[in-house]
Amino acid sequence: MAGSPPPDAWLLDITESPDGRSVVLWTKERTTARVRRTAVEFRPPFFVAGTRSDLDDLLPRLVGRSTVERVRRVVLRPSLFDHRPRTVLEVTPSRNSARRTLARSVDELGGFVRYSLFDVDLSPPQLYHLGHGLFPFAPVVGRGAAIRATEPAETVDYVPPPLRVARLAVTLEGPHRGHLPPKEGRIVAVRLGDATLEGPEEDLLRALIGELARSDPDVLLTEGGDSVDLPWLYRRAAAVGLGPGEFALGREPVAFRPARAARSFETYGRVLFRAATYPLPGRFHLDRENSFLFDDADLAGLIDAARLSRLSLSTVARQSPGTCFTAMEMAEALRRGLHVPWKKNRPESFRRADRLVAADRGGVIFVPPVGVFGPVDEFDFASLFPHIMVRKNLSAETLECRCCPESPLRAPGLGYRSCTREVGVIPRTLEPLLVRRLAYKAAAKDPTLPAEERARLTGRVKMLKWILVTAFGYQGYRNARFGRIECHEAINAYARALIADLVPAAEAAGYRVVHGIVDSLWLAPADPAHPPDPEAFARQVTERTDLPLGYEGRYRWIVFLPAVTHGLGVPNRYYGLYENGEFKLRGVGGRRHDTTGLARRFEGEMLDLFRAAHGPEEFRALLPRALRRADGFAEQVRAGAWPVDELVISHRIGQASDAFVTFTDSVAALRQLETAGASRQPGEVVRYVVLDRASRSYRERVRPEELLEGTERYDPDAYLELLAREAETLLAPFGVERDGLLERWGYGGRRERDPYRSPETVQQSVLDEAATAGGRF
Amino acid sequence: MGRTVPTYRQALEERLKRWDEFARLLTTPEERAAFETLRLGARRYVAQATYVGSPDLLESILLSVLLDLARRLPVDAAARPARR
Repeated sequence: MAGSPPPDAWLLDITESPDGRSVVLWTKERTTARVRRTAVEFRPPFFVAGTRSDLDDLLPRLVGRSTVERVRRVVLRPSLFDHRPRTVLEVTPSRNSARRTLARSVDELGGFVRYSLFDVDLSPPQLYHLGHGLFPFAPVVGRGAAIRATEPAETVDYVPPPLRVARLAVTLEGPHRGHLPPKEGRIVAVRLGDATLEGPEEDLLRALIGELARSDPDVLLTEGGDSVDLPWLYRRAAAVGLGPGEFALGREPVAFRPARAARSFETYGRVLFRAATYPLPGRFHLDRENSFLFDDADLAGLIDAARLSRLSLSTVARQSPGTCFTAMEMAEALRRGLHVPWKKNRPESFRRADRLVAADRGGVIFVPPVGVFGPVDEFDFASLFPHIMVRKNLSAETLECRCCPESPLRAPGLGYRSCTREVGVIPRTLEPLLVRRLAYKAAAKDPTLPAEERARLTGRVKMLKWILVTAFGYQGYRNARFGRIECHEAINAYARALIADLVPAAEAAGYRVVHGIVDSLWLAPADPAHPPDPEAFARQVTERTDLPLGYEGRYRWIVFLPAVTHGLGVPNRYYGLYENGEFKLRGVGGRRHDTTGLARRFEGEMLDLFRAAHGPEEFRALLPRALRRADGFAEQVRAGAWPVDELVISHRIGQASDAFVTFTDSVAALRQLETAGASRQPGEVVRYVVLDRASRSYRERVRPEELLEGTERYDPDAYLELLAREAETLLAPFGVERDGLLERWGYGGRRERDPYRSPETVQQSVLDEAATAGGRF
Repeated sequence: MGRTVPTYRQALEERLKRWDEFARLLTTPEERAAFETLRLGARRYVAQATYVGSPDLLESILLSVLLDLARRLPVDAAARPARR
């Protein structure tokens, strides 16, 4: 890095000390690569605001409590909406772990309305970072508690610390990974980095601790560590009599229980599952299966997010990008000498119902024409909403401010004004992220960079993209700290007006609008023989609107797909071939996680065929061949010749298995798993092959993936239907529909269900079967 | 998710369900097909109707349906307006 001297060390992490009175700084020395632990006494206060008499009332009630170290009156500007400083109470808990409990009891003393609390849910490590100019992975000079960062967290071009990363995987006695783990059992092998440890269990576990000390990794990487490897290691360590003192996977002893229990939760109408988390102080455990962001953005992206948010890498990996963005807003607020409200106490102001109808709308989403089109140019605004927030200074406290009644920044159609004098917390937080993303994106395109460096930049770009996406969503989210619904509405209003302005602009440039979704446009040249220059159009719009419109590429052809219910186009279901030979697919099989191998293979073959088409005419000419290929697939499926591992259907469980009322394929699979000793929580995924969907017996109906032997006979009709659905999805605009296909394929049709048999009868028949089959069960 | 007002799309679908009741007593295939045309017309212009954000749901639906019908009429070249 140009200019700055080499650091003495890197600050890896700050953790809370178990004594409750201090935080622990973990630094890695540059020359020796050794990790040093420094405990620093640190008990940050939180603040309570209220009327003078309410505070006078509270003070004596807190003094002398065992959970309170100190209470005093201080004068400061607690919130974004305070224009002048005021007197508040500064409350220091006696132990950091008592912070929330104490805050809750203060809230309760005020009947949950009289007091507003600040800085309660910032963690002591976060506050230490912010109060000392530090951040995770900061290069530092000095030692112990006297360290100082050599660059600001926002530095764009930085050298990440050299981390030692080791994979950790536990092998259990008996069946292998991917199949069902035993209920009870022993660990027979552990892999750590390049070393594979085997032997009697206690020796093995002790050897693991020895190997950790020897190779001293900073990051433990697992696939499912939160749900399998770590709980098993701790369970077996306890079983052979090892205590936390002897068996520490982190760099200091910690109890053998999770810091956060496993839970199922609902978000956007989907039930998801998150495994328990086991903190390893001084070391990071990243579980690819328990980390949405790690999977997408890689370690480089997580490190970048940790630096900017001041959250520990372990937290960033397991939380949503929204948590990172909130932490960045908090950092910005504290930097301004403000504080962070605990519970947002800013109700929407009352509004007339017709105003609400006018305001509460999303972006422009056209209904696309159904069929194949081409050539078509695609344009996207990069990070449109964040750019609008920055350009129009949209933030909770800058909207309808008192200082700028004549502000020219007014949300189209709504009239909400934004401040012209002071940049809001949200724009201020976002702007560096936008700059950063553009810088990394541009740098990643440099072909002379080593592949490793390019991958690192791409990881950061992806991470930033996620954070920027959530920044908008959080404006309308009730629990968002600095969110405000009017901001959300204003952003949408600007975005809608923008697209409306672009329609005539595109026509003037020689295009006609085929389709548009919020921040993307699909434009067809009015005269295909003389298409307009797309780059020039994008530049012209960017200059005029001060918002970056990018040219994504020209499609040779693009197919917009209809809804099965009414036949009009669906905004986000299409597939097309760019001139550079790449496909773009939205809302068709391959993009979905629950697709079977069969469907994916079929879609692949179809696209391979259509790859030869240079335009809509050639595309249509290929349709008869596409149908013949579909017939070929159907023939094999019907003959029972398809390999079962390509027929596995995935289903995310929405409720506990005993809460299901109807007997479905997934219920059948869940029951079998339960019998085999593996229960699934709501939000987890169950995978199975359909053997006989008319069967009333849960064993005969489906087979869970974990119990597949590979020789099962599947239900051909079930998979013919699936194939027909897939073919219809891709080819519906050309008159191909499911029932016609099924008829053509000689589909047997939905059979009547077998007569209902009670569980006892089923059990008996299973026993009978087992007896005749020579005990196969 | 925490929405106070249904979106235009939601409100439209809700209203179309009521229209289905109307259609149940239609007696000829021609009438049913014509009715289907109205439903499609209403759905074709959701983007435009959302953009207006009119508090009058029926105004937006009728405007959509009328436009869908009008675009099928032969256009008198003299009456064709320049855009904007």
